[in-house]
Amino acid sequence: MLTTKFRASLAVAALALTTGFMPAAAQQAPRRVPSMLIKNATVITVTKGTLQNTDVLLENGKIARIAQNIAAPAGAEVYDGTGKFVMPGIIDPHSHGMSDATNEGTLSVTSMVRITDVLNPTAVNGHRSLAGGVTMINILHGSANTIGGQSATLKLKVGRPIGEMLPAGAPAGIKFALGENVTRKSQNAVPGGPPRRYPATRMGQAEVLRDAFTRTRAYKADWDEYRARMAARPAPTTLVAPRRDLELEPLVEVLDGKRFVHAHGYRADEMVMLLELAKEFGFTVRTLQHALEAYKIAPEILAAGASVSVFADSWSYKLEAFDAIPFNAAITVHTGVRTTINSDSDERIRRLNIDAAELMRYGGLTEQEALETITINGAWQLGMEQRTGSLEVGKDADIGIWTAHPFSVYARVERTIVDGETFFDRQQDAANRAVRAAERAELEKAEPNTVPSPRGAPSGPSRPAAPTGENR
Amino acid sequence: MPLLSRATLALTVAVAIAAPPLAAQRVTPNAYAITNARIVPVAGPAIDKGTLVIRDGIIVAVGATVTAPADARLVDGAGLTIYPGLIDAYSTLGLRAAPPSGGGGGGGGGGGGAPPARPAGAPNSRQPIGLQPEVRAIDQLVDRSDFTAAHGAGITTALTAPQGRVYEGQSALITLRSDDFAAMAVRPTVALHIGFQGIGGAYPGSLMGVFAALRQSLIDAQHYREEMVAYTKAPRSAKRPEYDPSLEALQPVIAGTMPVVFRANTQREIERALDLAKEFKLKAMIGGGLESYLVADRLKAENVPVLLSANFPRRTVAPAADAEPEALRVLRERVQAPKTPGQLKAAGVRFVLQAGGNHADFVANLRRAVASGLSADDALRATTLGSAELFGVADRLGSIEVGKIANLTVVKGTDLFAADARVSSVWVHGRPQTVAAPAAVTAARPAGPAGQRPGLEGTWQMQVQLEGSERIVTLALRDRDGWLSGTIEGDLGASDVVNLVVEESGEIAFSTTVTTKEGTDEAWFRGRLANGVFSGTISITGQARGLFAGLRQQASSTNREDR
Repeated sequence: MLTTKFRASLAVAALALTTGFMPAAAQQAPRRVPSMLIKNATVITVTKGTLQNTDVLLENGKIARIAQNIAAPAGAEVYDGTGKFVMPGIIDPHSHGMSDATNEGTLSVTSMVRITDVLNPTAVNGHRSLAGGVTMINILHGSANTIGGQSATLKLKVGRPIGEMLPAGAPAGIKFALGENVTRKSQNAVPGGPPRRYPATRMGQAEVLRDAFTRTRAYKADWDEYRARMAARPAPTTLVAPRRDLELEPLVEVLDGKRFVHAHGYRADEMVMLLELAKEFGFTVRTLQHALEAYKIAPEILAAGASVSVFADSWSYKLEAFDAIPFNAAITVHTGVRTTINSDSDERIRRLNIDAAELMRYGGLTEQEALETITINGAWQLGMEQRTGSLEVGKDADIGIWTAHPFSVYARVERTIVDGETFFDRQQDAANRAVRAAERAELEKAEPNTVPSPRGAPSGPSRPAAPTGENR
Repeated sequence: MPLLSRATLALTVAVAIAAPPLAAQRVTPNAYAITNARIVPVAGPAIDKGTLVIRDGIIVAVGATVTAPADARLVDGAGLTIYPGLIDAYSTLGLRAAPPSGGGGGGGGGGGGAPPARPAGAPNSRQPIGLQPEVRAIDQLVDRSDFTAAHGAGITTALTAPQGRVYEGQSALITLRSDDFAAMAVRPTVALHIGFQGIGGAYPGSLMGVFAALRQSLIDAQHYREEMVAYTKAPRSAKRPEYDPSLEALQPVIAGTMPVVFRANTQREIERALDLAKEFKLKAMIGGGLESYLVADRLKAENVPVLLSANFPRRTVAPAADAEPEALRVLRERVQAPKTPGQLKAAGVRFVLQAGGNHADFVANLRRAVASGLSADDALRATTLGSAELFGVADRLGSIEVGKIANLTVVKGTDLFAADARVSSVWVHGRPQTVAAPAAVTAARPAGPAGQRPGLEGTWQMQVQLEGSERIVTLALRDRDGWLSGTIEGDLGASDVVNLVVEESGEIAFSTTVTTKEGTDEAWFRGRLANGVFSGTISITGQARGLFAGLRQQASSTNREDR
């Protein structure tokens, strides 16, 4: 049943749709997030156990209280959570959604390109991800080249300006890629077509990495020298700063530990290569993405301080994926490697809860361990574990409200809340369809959506040209 | 003094146009007086019945009590209204051969045709074509064939810019006159034009790469400036920086003295442009501006003008009975577009109007804007003095004032925006020009100004063979001033089509996000349109190359043929 308030917001939404005009104030004013009290739900905190018949109070975009029998503050929306399950918003550490581009595959090193330049804040896959209880995603560059572009950590505040979706203080990231996607073994060279881009082998990938970081060291040294000379007193007046190189700047950040490396790879050998190369150059790989053979090298991964983000059960879809096993995640978890399940897919992202549940079936993870793979571990992989990934007082109010335990195949998301605001509401979604249908019917009748009848007779002569209008 | 009969005048003009330039100069009078006309100077109140005197291409007198000089050819202006010549604020006029006439099909079956003649690159550039800011429209004016259609829309003056890829080149403000091309320039360089299409096959190939390449080149231009300053100060102690024509051309841009026109239509394209402009303190303008009304607050706050396309989208082909319904936002866009000028005005955003390559409908579109909330005065300003001011030529053009260039638009009737009014003549540099009738059918939208080869607009039912399985997707492509954009939906997920380019070879390439069982990744479609079939290959990183073939889903015939 629709509340009056909801009806009003529907009417406003319909108005906004027809005029296409957002009220200026709505865009400019700092957003005030209304309070919300979820009553009497099963609260899966992930880090503090699962609490029965518990209330969760959301204020100013944060989790304000988790307790029983919280009194609703004035003006707060009260949500009856009886029979519902409340869990932290799911975090997907590997997505290509919400973006207008994925690969700048023309060069072997494209660290200068940024996902943040091409975000699409209204992409439909964002809405569908919300419907799967996802609140934060790591949008990665594709795996076409050894060093790809800069990634973006995005809260799924779909429809909002991009600036609002990028959480302040989120660590920067970059995509690396190893293996067949880089060598393009799966694509036949076209006879007479362009030559294959270097590198064509895993050896070449190691060389590309070593070359890039060797250049980065030299670049860093140039700047260090320049800064040292400029620090001298009196400072030199004719000294020109070195050329800024947008390709190497993010790699300097990698060496300085200020940018997380998310490295696509499948096979144990290539992952070990990267971990050793990282050690050689003095940086840590934050995540090994896909890491299908991580189970072969779990202790090495743990020792290197890296983590893994894997599929629950995808394998054999290409040569390098043949040694994948469904017990991969269970083995890395049991070894102590921080492990997440990712989607890498606009489709799978809607059911990461089921992917996590599979880890209990294959490999026998506990419910707790399985839950961590789609919440707090992902938050850590993105450097956001202090902010989100579990239900704790003071953390961002990133929450999914489910109709059943999220590991049940019958569970559906009722609401998805990001920073205290509802961005998906199943009832509203259904109601919006009627609004949209009515709008469509109205628009279809509008003149620019009708097919014009031709001017004048179709086969008749057009008006003759006149040099000037006066002689008529 | 004999009053020239209309027939004689017509004959004179015909001779002037037909004869070679030198001869024309001998037989064409230098002075004209148009009498008894209603005159709308834009810069001041309308004169209900007045005289306008032109000499040597310049307006020398205008007013209700002006007497025609003895040597002037008289033109009876009774029943006519004289406006300052309309200015098309963003075009490719003069830059390339007109597209081969596609006939009534418009976006219909045809396709193919010769690849578009994109502007040639700059000689000795260190950058590939598409990344050369030193390219100048004024050096590439070659073709006058589309002037007639522009004249028919009352257009006498235009900003003309090369189009394609990233750094498209520098625009020129030209008058659409019939003598030599260089003489057309009123300002040979006005703005640097930037688009967001990758250069294809090389870096930058993607939208991400476009921004990285732009950013690096602007940083390089700053560095070049610093090196040059250091070298000029002390040539013997500094390393001599090598001359770089591209970085040289960017100097006025990073200094903020040459504006940058970003070709941007969607909200996010506009926001990306504004972000880049802010980052490098560029003097930005937005060319196109379809969704500029959604960014109005920011455009106003950041004082960024819009060269708004008046080529309002509309449904031109009746959907087939079994067609997928068009996206809601497409339907909305068509209804919204004519309202945008009025909304920008109300929001205090500075804007001028461009024809969007569609001269046949330009005047009709101005009327639609006026019917949708823009005042007639503002519509007129946005096509005359407003553009002249924006492009720095208000001292020479844009209004009917003594001393200005005699570019005039003459309308039969009292009001350009009245439904029955029509452009009866235009004057460029004080000479009357041939005016053609507007094209007969709105539905047959002409090809846009850009290098995009049309014939692809519409909805395509596509069969995609990928990794041994077959998927069906619907590709919906829309034409925006000659540039195609669209969506893809079906078995490969739902996504926007981005980065659509037509190669010199006629090959069509675009990228989009697809979802297969292996996940979500970017796919590059590359193909050709032949005999109504759009077919080619699809490439996804890490997967074997697939094949696609598409047929137009909507009936390619227009209503005109159906009747």
